[in-house]
Amino acid sequence: MMAVTAKAFQLWRSRIAPNDTVSDVCRTAGIKRSTLAQQLVRGKVSVGTVIAIARGYSEDPVQALAEFEGYRDLGSSLRPPTDAELVSQVSHIDILRLLVARSEDRERAGDTVELELAPFPHRNSLRAWVEAIDPGDLRQSLAARTGVARQNLSAQLTAGRLSPELAVEAARIAGVSLTSGLVVTGLLTPEEGGWPDRGRGRALWALTDIELVQLARDRLEILGKQLRKAELEDGHDQAIWENLG
Amino acid sequence: MSVVALQWVALAACLLGAATRLPDIHRGRGRGVFTALVLLSVAVGLSLRPIYLAVDQLLGGVNLANLVIRMALYAVFVLLGLRMVAAFDAPRARKFILGPLGIAVLVATVGATVYFFVQSDLSYSSTGLGAFEDQEAVQHYSEVGRLYPGYVAACLVGPSLASVVNSGARFLHRLAGAFLALGFGTVTLFAALRLLGVELAAWNIILPFSAILCVVLGLCLIWLSRRRAAHSGGRSNLLAQ
Repeated sequence: MMAVTAKAFQLWRSRIAPNDTVSDVCRTAGIKRSTLAQQLVRGKVSVGTVIAIARGYSEDPVQALAEFEGYRDLGSSLRPPTDAELVSQVSHIDILRLLVARSEDRERAGDTVELELAPFPHRNSLRAWVEAIDPGDLRQSLAARTGVARQNLSAQLTAGRLSPELAVEAARIAGVSLTSGLVVTGLLTPEEGGWPDRGRGRALWALTDIELVQLARDRLEILGKQLRKAELEDGHDQAIWENLG
Repeated sequence: MSVVALQWVALAACLLGAATRLPDIHRGRGRGVFTALVLLSVAVGLSLRPIYLAVDQLLGGVNLANLVIRMALYAVFVLLGLRMVAAFDAPRARKFILGPLGIAVLVATVGATVYFFVQSDLSYSSTGLGAFEDQEAVQHYSEVGRLYPGYVAACLVGPSLASVVNSGARFLHRLAGAFLALGFGTVTLFAALRLLGVELAAWNIILPFSAILCVVLGLCLIWLSRRRAAHSGGRSNLLAQ
């Protein structure tokens, strides 16, 4: 699993933009010429570049990616996301807002509580998604199949990053739509990845009270850990500045 | 680069480091490190021949200036030791530097330095006491001078390295930690080699002065990171991120 090869990329490019130079392509796609040049020199073009160019030429990014080795099954396995995936992309703030709305019994009172969900990815999108699709040993299988060390994997998730290759492979192992991984990493828009409009709101709404409370609890627990870590680092910074700054 | 050039660069770095902290001194912050950098500038400056000879003439031409270098250096290590253990929250290093053992090494070093200085026959100004190297008292004077700096530096390598491996820390602080660890590590190595009697030749200059450069660079990086944090508006609201 790699970024796409420069050779395959050039073939693809000459088909979708037969008369355009590399500069034209970059201008149309809104990417830096130096970025593409560097990727071509290294022989590997990033998934993000392919998606940007596909968009620039009004091609479907998913179908475009599916033409490359390692992504061939992307289009054929395009499925709607599971409810767990949809809920994983709701921020903790929106979860708490629904919890408050239900606690005030606004739903039963007949008010249609219209929750405008914040756009995603949110701050813990990746970790939440990986947990939502995990059949039990996802991280282990992912590490084994990609050769990326588990520590490295955890570090990427903690930092809120996951390479497109790993995201697609994670979806493949979990048996969910392969585009989901690219949606939660922010490479594909929800529409491009086949995520239904208002799907997140519906999936969130369908949670029972207990599920909602437990979801809120889990998210707050993660947030609490992050805040504690951040505060600890903040304390370290202050000590360093006060004494050596 | 010749060794003399290295010494001048180190002097410039110390002066620059002290100068950048000058505005903060008026606001009553960072006095410890500022004083350390000024004293370090004095010590480094006096290791340069023209400055040494001029200053020593004023002090009577009996190499009192060399004693000033030693005392300034000890003070630098006291100050840096105090500040470093507080900055990196290192209780073990703190115990070693401020505890009875640390105080004992400091008192012994100062006492022995003064004793061997008085015992030496230093009739005229000579940079680094180079002209009197064959005197046994001068050799001992030079050896004891490495004791306290080497001891404190050895205590500070650990806390500096700990900040490098902390993956949650700011990049600038990890980089600063790396330079500080390299600097203090070099001081420790230098002291050890001298105590073992290894013939160092030009490395007698290269090791300590590159160590000074590393430490000053590390301190400047921390100053820079505080500057940048102050510009971005101090403490952030962690919940609103």
